[in-house]
Amino acid sequence: MRATAYETSDAMALLRAEHSVARLLAEANELSTDYPDLLRGIGETLGWQVAAAWETDPDDPSRLIRVAFWHSPEIAAGPLEDLRACSAMPVGHGLPGRVWASGVPAWIVDVTIDPNFPRAEAARAAGLQSAFCFPILTDEGIAGALEFFTPEPRMPDDHLLATMANLGRQIGHFIERARAHTAMHASEARMRAILEAALDCVVTMDEHGCVVEFNPAAERTFGYVRDEIVGKEMAELIVPPRLRELHRRGLQRYLDGGEAVVLNRRIEITGMRADGVEFPVELAITRIPVEGAPMFTGYLRDITERKRAEQELRASRARIVEATDSERRRLERNLHDGAQQRLVALSLSLRLARTRMDEDPAAAADLLEESVAELAGATAELRELARGIHPAVLTDRGLDAALKAVAGRAPVPVEVTSTLTERLPAPVEAAVYFVVAEALTNVARYAEASSASVCIERGDSSVTVEVSDDGMGGADPSTGFGLRGLDDRVATLDGTLEVVSPSGEGTIVRAEIPCV
Amino acid sequence: MAATVLIVDDHAGFRLSARRMLEADGFDVVGEAKDGREAIEATVRIRPEIVLLDVYLPDANGFDLATELSALPEPPAVVLTSSHDSEDFGDCLIASTARGFVPKGDLCGSAVAALVA
Repeated sequence: MRATAYETSDAMALLRAEHSVARLLAEANELSTDYPDLLRGIGETLGWQVAAAWETDPDDPSRLIRVAFWHSPEIAAGPLEDLRACSAMPVGHGLPGRVWASGVPAWIVDVTIDPNFPRAEAARAAGLQSAFCFPILTDEGIAGALEFFTPEPRMPDDHLLATMANLGRQIGHFIERARAHTAMHASEARMRAILEAALDCVVTMDEHGCVVEFNPAAERTFGYVRDEIVGKEMAELIVPPRLRELHRRGLQRYLDGGEAVVLNRRIEITGMRADGVEFPVELAITRIPVEGAPMFTGYLRDITERKRAEQELRASRARIVEATDSERRRLERNLHDGAQQRLVALSLSLRLARTRMDEDPAAAADLLEESVAELAGATAELRELARGIHPAVLTDRGLDAALKAVAGRAPVPVEVTSTLTERLPAPVEAAVYFVVAEALTNVARYAEASSASVCIERGDSSVTVEVSDDGMGGADPSTGFGLRGLDDRVATLDGTLEVVSPSGEGTIVRAEIPCV
Repeated sequence: MAATVLIVDDHAGFRLSARRMLEADGFDVVGEAKDGREAIEATVRIRPEIVLLDVYLPDANGFDLATELSALPEPPAVVLTSSHDSEDFGDCLIASTARGFVPKGDLCGSAVAALVA
């Protein structure tokens, strides 16, 4: 027998139930903690004394698990134990299962005799008879089901079920919004983490040119605190005064529909720190693809270091080229003034000897004697010159032999000690050789020393050479192209060169070159 | 009479070799100079007929010096020499007031005589 009269008290009760749910949802943060409140809110206003909330098992979508249970204080808890113990149900089985499968609310007048109610015995023991259940619906399907029991027999109530169906959709909406909110929060948290950790400055500006975002890297680079500058004009903060108009006009031109000249390419410009100091910056600007007024994000990098390194590289290359040219000029001069002159003199002497041979053999013999000596001199000079270009002994017999040779030619005694046991890569051997050769040349020319020593030590990852003398010290490594050229040569191999030369205490030239 | 020659070169060894060669070939070497300043001064003082002049002097360029010498009263005949090839001088030789060029290695009396004749 169906209830046909829609009594005012019932209408009031339904309204109260709706209000109760609406208020609970408005105040709720997470639905799981408020299921008991929801169940109580609906149960109390409508007079259903026992209730449960069901959701899909997250590990098994074909199973429902009970996530909340409520009973009014009028009902004793003891007899409810068996009912309570049943906390899982396959989809399609029992009351929540059938509601899940059908998607619409269901009503059972007497659960104890219902063919699809696995908990019939437990319900009978608890003294419960009628029940209804409605789904919580979201766009993606059924998110849960709420069921209510009462000891009295009650006929199906269409109005109640309709109201409950509505509530099911409301609660469903709430769950959807909560999930979207959580997802957005998580996504925002990820984006924020990326910005916070980024090495590059990331700065966002609105269409008025005002700061919207300023990540920690930008704070560090430009010397501002984000919270203090949001809303202020970017141009006033990080653009040098003389470039501000250009920046403003460029932005205005773009907003007026002009071409995007600076967007989406790498530009090198000058930026300005909070203290007014200007520095070179690499910049790329993109327009953020959202609807509405344009927003722009700039990715900036302080390239002061890079510029300095480029400068140093250009300077060092120029020095190397100049050193090479200078060396060639020196060679040409040496050849011209030395060996070439001697060969000219030889030519004249020999030709003269040839013409005098018959009439004055003695004079011719003297000339030939002279020529032999001249030739020996020329040969010696050429040999010396070749050594200066690249000593053959270094290539053929290695560093130890070459160093002993150069030490032997020094005007003071030079002791050579070395822990080398094998050949080193050619550039390293050449660098060590020329450091020693140049250092010993300086000893001969300036040091007024009585002795010197050369010490080579082979470490695990580098080789160290030290040339020291007991002369007068006071050497200035910045003068004298010889040591500067060595600096470049050693630096090319990622090594270091240092000169320690206190006045009156001799000189130490030390080079360390990485070498595996 | 033997022609008088002033030898101008910054290399003492060459001045000696050149002197011997020219004297053996019948020239009269009357003086030596080792740079441009000495060359002008010696030319004015000694008035040689011929000046054997190295192109590369420490304080002067042989071509400029030749022009200077040709401006003197009773200018000498200038013969340029060098250990470099005449190719290295380009048009300077043609434009010069000197009589000609002899490579140092080929220096002999007849070569000089041929140029100043």
